[in-house]
Amino acid sequence: MTDQAQTDARLRIDSLSKSFPGTQALSDLSLEVGHGEIRALVGGNGSGKSTLIKILAGVQPSDPGGRITVSGKSIAAGDITPEWSFAAALAFVHQDLGLFEHLSVAENVFVGLPYPRRAGRIDWRSLNREAASILERLRVKVSPHGPLAGLRASDRTLVAIARAVRGREGVHDGVLVLDEPTARLAAPEADRLLAALRQFAADGQTILYVSHRLDEVLAMADSITVLRDGAVVADRSTDGLDAGELSRLIVGHTVASTAESRVDTAAGPSLLEVEDVWTGPLRGVDLTVAEGEILGITGLIGAGTSSLLRAIYGAQKRQGVVRLGGRELPGGNIAAAVRAGAAFVPENRLRDGAFITLSVRENLSASYLRRFRHRLSWIDRRAEVEASTEAISAYGVRCRSPQMPVALLSGGNQQKVVLARWLTGEPRLLLLDEPTQGVDVGARAEIHRQVRAAAKRGCAVIVATSDADELLELSDRVVVLREGRVAVSAGRDEVDRHWLAQRVFGHDYLQESQR
Amino acid sequence: MTTEQQDPETAPPKRRSIVGGLPSHPRPSVSTILEQYGLVIFLILLIVFFAVWPKTSGTFLTSANIRTTLENQAVVTIAALGALIPFIAGQFDLTVGANGIVATFIVAALTTKAGVPAGFSCIIAVVAGAIIGAASGIVVAYLRASAIVITLGMATLLGGLVILYSKSNSITGIPTSLISFGAKNWVGVPRPLWLTLIVLLLVGYFLRATVTGRRLLMIGENPVAATLVGIRTQRLILLAFVLGGALYGVAGVVLLANTGSASPSDGFSNTFQVLTAVFLGATTVRPGRFNVVGTIVGVLFIAVSVDGLSLAGASDWVQPVFTGAAVIFAVGASTVFARRRVT
Repeated sequence: MTDQAQTDARLRIDSLSKSFPGTQALSDLSLEVGHGEIRALVGGNGSGKSTLIKILAGVQPSDPGGRITVSGKSIAAGDITPEWSFAAALAFVHQDLGLFEHLSVAENVFVGLPYPRRAGRIDWRSLNREAASILERLRVKVSPHGPLAGLRASDRTLVAIARAVRGREGVHDGVLVLDEPTARLAAPEADRLLAALRQFAADGQTILYVSHRLDEVLAMADSITVLRDGAVVADRSTDGLDAGELSRLIVGHTVASTAESRVDTAAGPSLLEVEDVWTGPLRGVDLTVAEGEILGITGLIGAGTSSLLRAIYGAQKRQGVVRLGGRELPGGNIAAAVRAGAAFVPENRLRDGAFITLSVRENLSASYLRRFRHRLSWIDRRAEVEASTEAISAYGVRCRSPQMPVALLSGGNQQKVVLARWLTGEPRLLLLDEPTQGVDVGARAEIHRQVRAAAKRGCAVIVATSDADELLELSDRVVVLREGRVAVSAGRDEVDRHWLAQRVFGHDYLQESQR
Repeated sequence: MTTEQQDPETAPPKRRSIVGGLPSHPRPSVSTILEQYGLVIFLILLIVFFAVWPKTSGTFLTSANIRTTLENQAVVTIAALGALIPFIAGQFDLTVGANGIVATFIVAALTTKAGVPAGFSCIIAVVAGAIIGAASGIVVAYLRASAIVITLGMATLLGGLVILYSKSNSITGIPTSLISFGAKNWVGVPRPLWLTLIVLLLVGYFLRATVTGRRLLMIGENPVAATLVGIRTQRLILLAFVLGGALYGVAGVVLLANTGSASPSDGFSNTFQVLTAVFLGATTVRPGRFNVVGTIVGVLFIAVSVDGLSLAGASDWVQPVFTGAAVIFAVGASTVFARRRVT
């Protein structure tokens, strides 16, 4: 951690405000980030983090009155343009990295700029040389020639960072703004990226970064700014701060640690049996899940955790046998799986789960419309409204009425609607793909509570997650997929982060990291 | 360059609808009322205008004129209600007119050349319409081909078959029982209008109140999500084309009853008239969604403008310019309203 953190402010924000019709997204926000400091920006969904980043990037104008100073250059916050932001050496890397799979690393670094030319043709040699020089100065060990597609997840983020700081005199001169850089990385990849970021900071890079992963924030950042409802509720060093206190600051009240209330329910009879399932990357997966058991599955990107859930549910063709409660589920037939009591919450809940222009009521009843069916296929509208009103209060969806289109709800509430749709159907088998990706701590605890409540009712649950904390908090048993097979299955008590890292990567990784 | 505003993963999915709208905000305000009922208000103003404009005031509001105007709309309305079904499920259907023309030829040929009773011929024509719909539907739903392309091909092909069969000649001599259906009244209202009303109620009930109708709406809104909640999307898309096709057949039969002869055509001009009404309808009542009442408003809007302008003796170019401008304006305004609401 750097000593000079407070002496030399690289980024200074004075009384920044931003109002939208009906809401105050940011109110009188001030903060200061020193040279070489890693500052975490945390807060719930809707607390104003994204608005702050957009204002800094110059893509959204702030209310008049605020002032931004970057490395001594000062500007009225209302006047920032993307050009100013770039000239002031503010560099942004978003959660969606915006990289191109099929281009080379060097092309990705320089994409959007005119490539160097010689005699009218692209001068690939000089393009690769310049990319290599940026990567070298960042101490990133990646070849500029290779295709992006061959890179591991953490290296991709580093390539995106290289692109964000290209064209600067010193690669670490500016302020690097990262929006949830580890949200989609498996634990070992996240650790690797964080190590690289710490190295950047040691080299003098100032970093402002947004994350929902509290343990990571505490381990990684020098200092922390907590936003709630657009205002700074805490601005302090991470020394002496623990996760419990931090989540209290974020939510405004105490969040019960979900790990403690975990119940060992794995003793029930087996409800789901998966035998020798082949699909996509999967090459013969066998597993069983008991009534009331929460099975966590994890693996590297591409290990097939999503494919497994989709194959069980019938959203993807498969070979092999899946039985629910002793009865075989036909492959590739979602309707049959739903009728047998299966529920699937996709990873991208809004894109693949929400009907945004339809009402909350229509969204909630989507998976169990059959219950309201009367003669002549008629929908009992009153029963439907009653059921949706009940679900709205049970799952804490904030909306004015069940008739409101889902498009008008906040992102977090849209997610709740999709989840509530499946839980109110009281499924026997609940399949969740990355259930808490991109949600805040409060909502995450709430989702975990509901998943556990479903398990308590006797539902068999499979959670596919790349978030090690979630896996450890939620699962009764953990399965690691590697190379298309179950690499290992273990009870929760035998598992810790180190164990996971070893199993997820297998032995090659261990040998490599020992070298 | 690295300043994209929204993470595409968490951004709500974009509307695929042609009119690009979102349903209205539940809190009524001047702008939402204007948006929701703009076309209705415009229609009323148009009626008032033709009623008082010296050029048309003498004839426009007479019962004879109202009657003919409405009578002429039976065919368009039935076809538009049919087209609404695939459109609600997110599928373009350009076979409307061609399918209807095929129906007129089936009935005309069966009754005049084969001596099949009129009623039975009509049923065969409607079943043929459903089969044509099924043919497009199978290709679109199960081969996952683009509906607009497949139905364009199907309509062109049907137009060709009509020419092959008719050798470009009309068929006349339709049984009087059929023609009298088009001419006679029941309780003072022409029979085709009663039929239209029945179709209107059935389609409205089907789309608004039944499980299958709701599922079609969900497919049109987000096919991936619809599949994931266990809807058999392929089967229902096929069903939408079949029901649409059957109703184009009904519209064809009514057309034959009105005109008394089957004339060869690929029906594209009818198709575009019908689709114009459907699109206009999606800008009103429940803006951003294809809807039954809106579609009726769309049909009436076109009918009133055509009728008023022709009574006024306007030149041929006036009416298409007026209707075309109305569609562009209505759909454009509805899209702007929708965007303003979400951002």
